[in-house]
Amino acid sequence: MNKHPARDEILGQVRAALGRRAETSVANVPASARVGPRQAGDANGEIEMLLGEIAKLGGNPRHLESKADLEAALENLVHEEGVKKATMWQTSELKELGVAEYLGTLGVEMISPHADRDQLADCDLGVTGVDAALPETGTLVLRSNPEKPRLVSLLPRVHLAILYPPLLDADLGTVLDKLRDDSCVTFITGPSRTSDIELTVTIGVHGPKALHVWIVEKTDRS
Amino acid sequence: MRARVQVFATCLGENFFSDVLKDMVTVLERLGVQCEFPEGQTCCGQPFYNSGFQSQTLALARNWLRAFANTTGYIVAPSGSCTDFVRHRYLELFPPGAPEHPQVEEIASRAVEFTEFLTRVLKVTEMGAHFPHKVTYHAACHSLRNLGLRDEPKLLLQAVEGLELVPLAEEETCCGFGGVFSVIYPEVSRAMMDAKVKNIQASGAEYIVTNEPGCLMNISGVLQRIGSPIKPMHLIQILASSKDSSRPSP
Amino acid sequence: MSAIPTHIDFRRNVQSVEPQVPASVRKATTRFLDTRAAVVDVIGQESWQALRQAGHDVRLHTINHLDYYLARLEEEVTRAGGHVHWARDAQEANRIVLEIAQEHRVKRVVKAKSMVTEEIGLNRTLVDAGVQTLETDLGEYIVQLAGTGPSHIMVPAIHLTKEGIADLFREKLGLDALPEAARLAALARAQLRQEFLAADMGITGANFLVAETGTLVLVTNEGNGRMCTTLPPLHVAVAGIDKVVPDLESLNVLLKLLPRSATGQKMSAYTAFITGPRRTEEENGPKEFHLVLLDNGRTIILQDEITRETLLCIRCGACLNVCPVYNHVGGHAYGFAYSGPIGAILLPQLVGTKVAADLPFASSLCGACADICPVKIPIVEILLRLRRRVVEGDTVEPAVSPATLRLGVQMVARAMSIPWLYDLAGQLLRIAQAPFRRGAWLPSLPPPLNRWTMARPLPALRADWRAAWRRRTPEGRTRQRRIRIALVAALASAAAYVGWRLIQRQDRGE
Repeated sequence: MNKHPARDEILGQVRAALGRRAETSVANVPASARVGPRQAGDANGEIEMLLGEIAKLGGNPRHLESKADLEAALENLVHEEGVKKATMWQTSELKELGVAEYLGTLGVEMISPHADRDQLADCDLGVTGVDAALPETGTLVLRSNPEKPRLVSLLPRVHLAILYPPLLDADLGTVLDKLRDDSCVTFITGPSRTSDIELTVTIGVHGPKALHVWIVEKTDRS
Repeated sequence: MRARVQVFATCLGENFFSDVLKDMVTVLERLGVQCEFPEGQTCCGQPFYNSGFQSQTLALARNWLRAFANTTGYIVAPSGSCTDFVRHRYLELFPPGAPEHPQVEEIASRAVEFTEFLTRVLKVTEMGAHFPHKVTYHAACHSLRNLGLRDEPKLLLQAVEGLELVPLAEEETCCGFGGVFSVIYPEVSRAMMDAKVKNIQASGAEYIVTNEPGCLMNISGVLQRIGSPIKPMHLIQILASSKDSSRPSP
Repeated sequence: MSAIPTHIDFRRNVQSVEPQVPASVRKATTRFLDTRAAVVDVIGQESWQALRQAGHDVRLHTINHLDYYLARLEEEVTRAGGHVHWARDAQEANRIVLEIAQEHRVKRVVKAKSMVTEEIGLNRTLVDAGVQTLETDLGEYIVQLAGTGPSHIMVPAIHLTKEGIADLFREKLGLDALPEAARLAALARAQLRQEFLAADMGITGANFLVAETGTLVLVTNEGNGRMCTTLPPLHVAVAGIDKVVPDLESLNVLLKLLPRSATGQKMSAYTAFITGPRRTEEENGPKEFHLVLLDNGRTIILQDEITRETLLCIRCGACLNVCPVYNHVGGHAYGFAYSGPIGAILLPQLVGTKVAADLPFASSLCGACADICPVKIPIVEILLRLRRRVVEGDTVEPAVSPATLRLGVQMVARAMSIPWLYDLAGQLLRIAQAPFRRGAWLPSLPPPLNRWTMARPLPALRADWRAAWRRRTPEGRTRQRRIRIALVAALASAAAYVGWRLIQRQDRGE
């Protein structure tokens, strides 16, 4: 008795159509199917390009020189976006920056990212780090693991992504190579958007309505 | 006489646009090219092939090859579409191994579209033409995409004395002819033509010029039906116009 | 709309296109083409053409080794903890998804936009079995409310105005909204947020399936794709077997081509790379991941070496945007899930030549589609191959055109390949056109030529070139005189013959 009639039939038909046999080995992907990587410009230019692309997409990028800058920016953000509840990735980089503590002093209630999803959906702000960024397209790369729950960048109304340290990759190809071991990697390029109604660009459909991207320099790290 | 060419009249050319063919010969002779017309030619088979009757194309293609066998020189047509068909599609109809294949390689490769012949073979754009009018140009799909003639026809027009070439919006968008398509789906074809005519009218030109009999038949037909004063012309007719022969519209 | 059609009548569909559709379609396609041109300019024409070639080569390599990559994909998805199912046709795929749903007592399904589930009519199967199935892409949500199908691959509700959508929300959801895009989107967001949180199962398609890693790649803009693949405990992806790519490096090419060609974005807002279900130590993400690999006619498409390249398609929709035919008729005219040039070549192969014989002819063969295609599908070549299939039949399917038509065309083609007959026919037609002639034009002709004259007049047949040519030389003039005499003699004897037969008939009292 054949346990997988559909599978075997489909693969059989594919082989028959292509004139191949099950044991026919595969040729390597031809060299003509590859493209060379994009070359990075100078470091500042790359950072400017990243922030410029994000701004063009309706995101809010900032380049912060120090922790003091960060605190001022957080205060501003909480005020402007009306943040009452926030949740955050549990990575050492973000802990090191003291984001949660400072949000606490601003009167923001911190919700654990392990809380149930209705509570996360109720958060005004989700703070994540960034695992890589592509300046050419303004793309943030977020990996997923127990420290970096997927919902933090998805359910809250506002997403704040902090690049600390700023991990920029010149080209998509080099980033893709880092994705081999993750169950879920998300590329985020600007806030969620749609043009489905009469082509009017509308920001904030199902994902966060606002995206803030801050590059924080590691200068004052002791 | 420095060169000899064979006139490839094409069926639309000889049945509907004999003036264009006469003008083609006039221009070529003015440039010192001797013209011959092999009378055995009929249709190259494209309308049959493009309608799906591809096996019916063979008899026509064989006749075409017979007609131009034992001739010398380039085979010049007033149509990019027919040129493209014999030059490229005959190789597929008669692939290596077919008895006609060597003939295809020898004969069909000599086929050139008229503006292609002028600009790429003779390498002339200036031929003393005079046409003191505002003209706009519609790029025929097969000339443009299959023969890669994007700038050449316009270079020829720009070299005409007195001619003002004005841009046509969506110049490279199909006019809605498409051979059998125009008969199977007249409503869509008409909608495409209306869009084309709107752009032609907006260009402010007195003349709409193209280098493809199919497009010319289509565009001139719709201009006639709507009673437009804009006059359609084949590019060859413009090149044949000289100071002493200010010609009426076709 | 998800019902698979039994016959697609393109001309009738065109005639029933609502008058506002072409303008709104054109507005969208123009926008996409403009933004696309801008991002292609940033890359530069030369690099873009190199990318297209690479895209073509990687897709063709995959399709030419499809069995290998599918087997590899299955292995890797399974290794990552996912389940792979194989479906020979729409019915089997629907049954598999329904069984997964029933096994898990699923009551509510949220769906991300997927052309392939439209192709198999999955929603109907689930709804008929009592499973609430909700489209969550805003455009798909709207057309689902309207009870129609998508009219553009990227903007499904392109044919509807904001006023129409506001009416729809009022009628179907009981929600009053101002006809403003932002208001309507906010309403949909609020409605769907609850559904995402409550759903038992998320269904998506796939943009790419990476054989090397078993990774599903989803390219979206709204975030609904992420919701569908993150919140429900169960994720089912349905994908055609053509969606596989060899490795992550292939995506380096394809992810550069897809969003730029589709919407003119350098990258879509969200591109998710999903490999199996969530890991045991993770809290977010589905506990189970199922991948349904669908054939539904694709292995037949593989059989012909030219039409095979149809399967290179990455569903960007650029060919729709640039197509002058699509721009004047919109997506619904194509009668089923896929439209535009890709629909014209894909549908006849998926649903059969008999059902979709009209579609390969719904093109002026202008070639703009093949020029813009990011993976260089030779769309015109495939259209021609399918036209031949319709008319003459081939190794894949028999002809559907009537044998009498074939015979008639054969006679015409033969006659036209005989030079004297061709010449004579031209002269006879020139005489025969007299009753229809108005000056230099034939404004109205009898069927089937009325199909031409209903749109524009035909120039009167001149057929005087050969005579003119012959008159250039003395020998030619002699020849022309003889031909003329032969023609008159032939006409006179034909007239005499007809007259004689008529007299005979009268004599017999018929």
